[in-house]
Amino acid sequence: MFKKKIHIENSVRRLRFNNDEMTQEQLADLVGISRQTVVAIEKYKYTPSLELAFKIALAFNKEIQEVFFINQ
Amino acid sequence: MNMNLKIRNTLAEIIGALIAMVWMWFKLNETSIMTIESVSKILAQGIGISIILIIALHIVFNILSSIITGKYEKDIDDERDKIYELYSLQLSSAIFGISLVITLILLGWFNLTINTGLIAITFSGFIASIVSLFLKIYLYRY
Repeated sequence: MFKKKIHIENSVRRLRFNNDEMTQEQLADLVGISRQTVVAIEKYKYTPSLELAFKIALAFNKEIQEVFFINQ
Repeated sequence: MNMNLKIRNTLAEIIGALIAMVWMWFKLNETSIMTIESVSKILAQGIGISIILIIALHIVFNILSSIITGKYEKDIDDERDKIYELYSLQLSSAIFGISLVITLILLGWFNLTINTGLIAITFSGFIASIVSLFLKIYLYRY
């Protein structure tokens, strides 16, 4: 069952807008990545490492499961 | 076409390698007597030219981009860049490894001259690098 590929999605874009319309550049600077990586994460083209996922969650002051979740 | 810093730098590397390959090809065709010294000189010069070209093209592309967009783009290497770099390195190593073995087989069993072997190894290095750079562009774009 767990061997099946899972699709990890996120609410980064929504959280950015809920955080005073934070720009992709600002989030990238906060967590130490490039703006292009933020774009790739928001479009679900790139799944970040656990460490980066925690950093992003911390940037929004949220729990990791509130930011990254599995689309069943 | 939305072209970020990484894609621009990768394109600079592809163009630099291609120009150096074409230069080496013409130089090798011009040479009347192919000795190991003359072939080695051309190949070493070609590698040098590709390095200089890549650096120069990086600078030119970034200056042009700054002029066009009017802003300076920071070059940050994050985990995504490192993963893509790794994929590209794996592909180039595989291509170079396979072509090295093929060249050695041709040298050992099919009477390929040492000069042709040298040329084949150098060109396969360039081709492996160019193919892996195209993979990098693909990963950044899609």
